[in-house]
Amino acid sequence: MGDFVSNLSLGFSVALTLQNVGLAFLGCLVGTLIGVLPGVGPIATIAMLLPITFGLDPTGALIMLAGIYYGAQYGGSTTAILVNIPGEATSVVTALDGHQMARQGRAGVALGMAAIGSFFAGTVATLVIAALGVPLTGLALIFGPTEYFSLMVMGLVFAVVLARGSILKAIAMILVGVLLSTVGLDLETGEERMTFGLPILADGIDFAVLAMGIFGIAEIMRNLDHTETRDVVRQAIGRLLPNRQDFKQSYRPVLRGTLIGAVLGILPGNGAVLGPFAAYTLEKKLAKDPSRFGRGAIEGVAGPESANNAGAQTSFIPLLTLGIPPNAVMALMVGAMTIHGIIPGPQVMTKNPTLFWGMIASMWVGNLMLLIINLPLVGMWVRLLKVPYRLLFPAILMFCCIGIYSINSLPANVMFIAFFGLVGYMLIKFGFEPAPMLLGFVLGKLMEENLRRALIISRGDMTTFLTHPISAGLLVVAAVVLVIALLPSIRKGRDEVFTE
Amino acid sequence: MSTPREGSGSFERRGPVRSPQGVAGGILLLALAALALWLTRDLDQGTLNAMGPAMLPRWLAIGVGLSGLALIAFAFIREGEPLERWSVRGPFFVIAGILAFAVTIRDFSFGPLALPGLGLVAAGPLAILIGGYATPEARLRDLVVLSLSLTPFCMVLFGDLLNLPIPIFPQALAGLFPADWSQKAILRATAAVMAVAAVIVFLLTRGRTSNRVDVADHSGGRI
Repeated sequence: MGDFVSNLSLGFSVALTLQNVGLAFLGCLVGTLIGVLPGVGPIATIAMLLPITFGLDPTGALIMLAGIYYGAQYGGSTTAILVNIPGEATSVVTALDGHQMARQGRAGVALGMAAIGSFFAGTVATLVIAALGVPLTGLALIFGPTEYFSLMVMGLVFAVVLARGSILKAIAMILVGVLLSTVGLDLETGEERMTFGLPILADGIDFAVLAMGIFGIAEIMRNLDHTETRDVVRQAIGRLLPNRQDFKQSYRPVLRGTLIGAVLGILPGNGAVLGPFAAYTLEKKLAKDPSRFGRGAIEGVAGPESANNAGAQTSFIPLLTLGIPPNAVMALMVGAMTIHGIIPGPQVMTKNPTLFWGMIASMWVGNLMLLIINLPLVGMWVRLLKVPYRLLFPAILMFCCIGIYSINSLPANVMFIAFFGLVGYMLIKFGFEPAPMLLGFVLGKLMEENLRRALIISRGDMTTFLTHPISAGLLVVAAVVLVIALLPSIRKGRDEVFTE
Repeated sequence: MSTPREGSGSFERRGPVRSPQGVAGGILLLALAALALWLTRDLDQGTLNAMGPAMLPRWLAIGVGLSGLALIAFAFIREGEPLERWSVRGPFFVIAGILAFAVTIRDFSFGPLALPGLGLVAAGPLAILIGGYATPEARLRDLVVLSLSLTPFCMVLFGDLLNLPIPIFPQALAGLFPADWSQKAILRATAAVMAVAAVIVFLLTRGRTSNRVDVADHSGGRI
């Protein structure tokens, strides 16, 4: 307990310096600004804004990036509520009741509740991370390559189960993702694999390039297919602060949402995505009058938004303690860390305590910033949302190009985002969801490395994954989850959750 | 990579196929698997004890191929989605815009083709102007104003404030300015000129847009 307090106070002494507070503020602001744009999710936002953090010191850069991430998340919710265009999977649920509230002239209350719920969830999640950081880092030290490999297999199985649509397609996407990660020089022999002889591919495919293509450019192409029918709410935004009645209705959903989101966020394999869906379903089940949902029930905004933010934050845990990015956003964080010479993993906390605890404390600061920035700036976001897409997308296009070019100063990277954009567009048209592919790609290199090491230690004996108790346990969990997901009755429920 | 043509091919011969999208997706996966297997054909697989470079890619490719086969098989058994309509205009102009940016931002040579680096001052507007035509609602005047105002903003933000190593203007342009001007001063002057140009274009063409219609625009700009 003493450690917990002293660690947090160390963190706050770093996070509350004028420079870092300023960076958290700036990060949240530009993150929201870009995240509000329809069709730009957190992944594309971070990839676009990554270069603006290059000139900073590592701690400042990560604090700013985390701010950008929260800002983008909240921006997505703002768009969902005001325009009914969810920027990404996690704000789909917010759009259901949030947009209805907006049509009833209660957009302000919906946005306010989302911000307050998110702030509460963020506060709790910050404490959870601070509390779990030390013990989980200890766990990482008893993990060998065998356990790491099995843990990542489990993460990928979760990703398959949590993906929308056909399970078979999700499995195929994961395999393609891991396959893409093997492009480049072989780790041990130094032989080129599947590079077409292109020198730019020798180091493998750059993650930011892949993510930008699949989530930024492909999204633009997809949006252009639909003729635009954006109905920005014409009604007044109304007052922003929820009244007593609203608070009475929402405080329980906020508590439950926070709990659900925090727990799911820790899971490897993009558990954070499930948080809002689970919270929404739970609130609907618990409500006295479920028919209110979908017609502007404030619980349907408060619960999922809290779950969303709690999950967004606790998904830092696997990255900071085990060095395993649980989703694409965290993979971009890995990229940012390596640019600044930090290798994510258990050693960050021991070798670089100011960075580790400073970042955790800054999460809370970032959440406070969201509250401060967003409530007064709602009017500006509304105006931004009225800009027609025919003017927005060329601007997004140019920002994507500049962002990707600045990462390595390579024009070839810019060409690759066009290529992956086309690939992503084709995948969407064929009904594949690209998110699992990105996760497979993220974990692929680490998996191969650990698989090889584990097999060298066991002298080529595959049963090593079953004779190590922790590894066997993780694989059993993965197998059980997969079997459950394939059971017909559960599958129906899963489809319902995602199509609602 | 397979092409959209394969997809539309299966769309025409409906009959036993219950899920054209499944067939198309399966073919895409099979093609990808075949490509990976072909690319790794010369690499050593090694043994489990000492894995070679080809072991993992090969097994993954086989997995991808099997998923593709399963998708195709299910497409004959289970009812599924039809193929969505493809548009060519959107992807074409978006890609063309990105490529235009890529080849002009820095000196570029591909075989006999060699282009001097023009920097952001040219690459930015090109990306916006070409990419902007991806939508049938595009209007030249709006895109010109947008490119003339956003580019100087990005030049100042990325080149001046953030000091990113991104080429801003071609070397030839530097010769037009007095020799004792620093790079930053030229950058700011260029940005200012562009911003002023944006305002002038905006003001001069303001009255004309209402009666000049570049492209059929049924929405009437009410969005």
